[in-house]
Amino acid sequence: MTDAVLAEPAKPSWLARLWQKRWARWLLVALILPTFALIAIGVYVALVLMEDEPVSYADIEQHFKYGSTGGERESGFPYWIFQVLPRVCSHHLPGPGYASLGLVFEEGKDLPVGMSKRRYQGLDRTFLNCAVCHTSTVRDSPQSKPRIYVGMPANTFNLWGFQKFFFDCARDAKFATEYVVPEVDRLLREKGRRLGLLDRYVVYPIAVAIMRERLLMLRGRMEPLLQHTEWGPGRVDTFNPNKTLFNFPLAQLPEREKHAAVDFPSIWLQKPRQGMQLHWDGNNAMAEERNKNAAFGTGTTPPTIDLAAIGRLEAWLLTAEPPKYPYPIDSDRAARGEKTYKQYCAGCHGASGRDFPAPQGTQSRECVGTTEREDELYGPHVGKITRIDEIRTDRRRLDSFSYELAVHMGTVYAGYPHRYCHYRKTFGYANMPLDGVWLRAPYLHNGSVPTLRDLLEPAAKRPKVFYRGNDVHDQRKVGFVSEAAELGGVKFFKYDTSVPGNSNSGHEGRRYGTELAPEDKAALVEYLKTF
Amino acid sequence: MAATRTSSRSLAKRKALLLLVLLVIVGAIFGAYAYYRLMYEHAESPIADPEERFKYGSIGAEHDAGIPYWIFYVLPRMFPEKIPKPAGLAGFGVAWEQGKELPIGFTKKVIGFPRVANNCASCHAASYRKTLDENPTFVAAGPGHTLHLVAFFRFLVDCAKDPRFNADNLMREIRLVADLDWFDRLAYRFLIIPLTKKRLLERERQFAWIYRKDFPDWGRGRDDGMNLTKYFMIGLPMDDSFGPTDIAAIWNLKKYDTPGTTMNLAGDSHDSYSVIIDSALGLLGAAPKDNDEVLEHVKWLQAYLRAKAPPKYPFPINERLAATGKGVFDTHCASCHASDKTGKRMPLAAVGTDPERLGTWNKDNAVAANKVVRGFGIERKGLVEAPLEGYNPPFLDGIWLRAPYLHNGSVPTLRDLLKPPGERPKAFWRGYDLYDPVNVGFVSQGPEAERVGTRHDVSERAGSNQGHEFGTRLPAPERDALIEYLRTL
Repeated sequence: MTDAVLAEPAKPSWLARLWQKRWARWLLVALILPTFALIAIGVYVALVLMEDEPVSYADIEQHFKYGSTGGERESGFPYWIFQVLPRVCSHHLPGPGYASLGLVFEEGKDLPVGMSKRRYQGLDRTFLNCAVCHTSTVRDSPQSKPRIYVGMPANTFNLWGFQKFFFDCARDAKFATEYVVPEVDRLLREKGRRLGLLDRYVVYPIAVAIMRERLLMLRGRMEPLLQHTEWGPGRVDTFNPNKTLFNFPLAQLPEREKHAAVDFPSIWLQKPRQGMQLHWDGNNAMAEERNKNAAFGTGTTPPTIDLAAIGRLEAWLLTAEPPKYPYPIDSDRAARGEKTYKQYCAGCHGASGRDFPAPQGTQSRECVGTTEREDELYGPHVGKITRIDEIRTDRRRLDSFSYELAVHMGTVYAGYPHRYCHYRKTFGYANMPLDGVWLRAPYLHNGSVPTLRDLLEPAAKRPKVFYRGNDVHDQRKVGFVSEAAELGGVKFFKYDTSVPGNSNSGHEGRRYGTELAPEDKAALVEYLKTF
Repeated sequence: MAATRTSSRSLAKRKALLLLVLLVIVGAIFGAYAYYRLMYEHAESPIADPEERFKYGSIGAEHDAGIPYWIFYVLPRMFPEKIPKPAGLAGFGVAWEQGKELPIGFTKKVIGFPRVANNCASCHAASYRKTLDENPTFVAAGPGHTLHLVAFFRFLVDCAKDPRFNADNLMREIRLVADLDWFDRLAYRFLIIPLTKKRLLERERQFAWIYRKDFPDWGRGRDDGMNLTKYFMIGLPMDDSFGPTDIAAIWNLKKYDTPGTTMNLAGDSHDSYSVIIDSALGLLGAAPKDNDEVLEHVKWLQAYLRAKAPPKYPFPINERLAATGKGVFDTHCASCHASDKTGKRMPLAAVGTDPERLGTWNKDNAVAANKVVRGFGIERKGLVEAPLEGYNPPFLDGIWLRAPYLHNGSVPTLRDLLKPPGERPKAFWRGYDLYDPVNVGFVSQGPEAERVGTRHDVSERAGSNQGHEFGTRLPAPERDALIEYLRTL
């Protein structure tokens, strides 16, 4: 049988017979070549779409300042468009370039501190990272050079202005291929590069259109916030923008929940904070949830967050040290202040700038059975919450985190093992540890009191109007210089304590040290410099 | 030669056969996989803690009434304009505990893919706050007086009717929150989203009553209770009856054990077992997939609810005053509310409250409904096959949390109920959960009540606060003592 099969003379196959025909050969070539070309293009496009390359840094501080949280994937601005917008929309900026919004630029860097770059789907993209709100500068005097401190509240950065710039620019007739692409071309030429044909005619026109659509969508959701009390530099309304995540129509917010801007916090020494009620109102004791939520501000979404990169930062921040006070401290006076501190402040703020043990009986990390226990949440202890009728500071921020929002927080990261389950509506403000307090001015949660010395006055004697955004340190009162409306052509933000959300009341009375003798207050301020 | 040809032909045949077998195997594997990802019900043991099981345990409604999890997740974000308050799903007044992925009464079950449905607690969980600066306390089996049920029904159908409800838009929104794998992405785009849209649109016909322009809104905390049975289960055509009533407290069901007591406001059902079955069938939206499983759960519910104690009044009580009030109660109230008349049928003329609820149900409906349930193969005593005469005088256990009062929730507080109808509030806001310990009920006037609640106007159809003119002329001290006693029940 086998032999018989083998013995049969080979008959030319149908393919071979076809190949003998000239027209068939041509047809084959005409079909095969475009197919290969299509496959090649397909592979190229697939490779481009799969590109996901963040700029990363081995040094953790560099990584913090310029590394990615993953936000560029979903929310990134095309890098070159970002770079030319100050030229295209210069009339929407308060001064030249992004620096006029209080962003910090280091020499030799193409992006400000707090912005990262990632090549994603064929386009370099840039967006914010943690450092944009948690890094700033200090100057000894108006003439001296600013020093960068990572982890401190971004006292000069005007996030409100930053948002508004993009919203206004997106709405401007100039936000169009006609204006943007030639500027990109010009900027590239200045750097000795050229804009490719594909980029010029396909990539950038589409990028401009998508970016405008996205910005206008965001503007649509955020616009009602722009009618609230202006944040000014160093502040953000944390939880009203959070409501847009669930697309609560902000235009219908109850009056009580509006005007809720607060100071950016410092983010060093996270380890001793474990078990404390975090955020100004102490609405969460789980740092990982707090951090992931802050990362929404850097443009991340649950599927696009870069957990490895954020994990690196979280690990670093556990032990990151607050910067030491760089100016002389009068040790005798500080020693006197220490006594006052122990008597008046230590109960709620911890024994010192380094010794602030978290409350006992920390919350369970598990979701199940985390019913709040009043005595665990509230009390005169660092990391616990002081009720609003006791602390009596401005309650706008407290009310902005509504019960309805609190329960919605329980749906965030659904489908992941790290779904939030620790957000709780509270009814007061958390007692903060005071590590590095000299860099955390202005004071109170809403940044309504410019200096520590002012905070030791009763509310009626605290400055009613002052200026924010100056980075010159005031060694006498401890805080930033706040009397000057401008410096060297840079205008500062006028903070008016009489508008909703800006009240400087509360944290006052005998127990809060506002009735101490002036020399005791000065001594206490001197001691706080050691924190 | 001939042999060779035969052998090559048989070889070809064998090849073809092999190919066919391979195809069948591959097809079967893919089919099994698709079945697993789309239909396979993941077995779950019931939640151990009874209260948690009542609040979050599935009653099997995910099969027919279930909404695919990710669609349910993104709908409030995509269509916030269809929600009565700017607060997402919470805008419907659902009882939602902090840290929970879903509100009380919303269950999640994987049948191929995760689906969301409801259980009894979606209507039967009450919320109250003692002061403004306090989180709500939730009482399982209490009346869901904050729930805007009709708005929730309408929301789902309105979303499906919206042209923006399509696979492109939904997938874009889902992509922002979830990392679906290739199968889910395809299944959602080509099967799950189109089918969900179709199913929801079908509801428009079954739920025609939620779109009746000539009916006033139920408002928060009310439900036209017989509708699901009438239009959904029996499939009767829409009639013109309209009788929304307060969502009931369903704790302490053992009080109905006394022979002769009937259940529901108008005494239309024989016993708690029947009521729970009928309510569950309303939630299932179709015949149960597995009778034994559903009935086992119903029996568990019955046992749980029979034993569930009414909640204690959360403010201080003046015991001496309450003791005096007990005397007033015995004289003026007990003959109906704590006697052998309680929970039994009573002609309407004796009380004179709003009659509309009686028009929503009749003997023929009861006969038809009983037949349908028997057709499912479920045995129960069932609905009372007799004309409705009036409302059963209710037991008053936990009455403090059952505001507003009267069957149709037309009187905001107990203090108001003890006034003649002409002096009771003509309009008030219901659905706000701040408690009013002075008047016993919820705060029903003022800016916050107006912001949170829905307006109840007693001049609207089925909303009258007439009747029950008992104890309305008591001297003030006796009235106050009576109210104090009622707080203790």
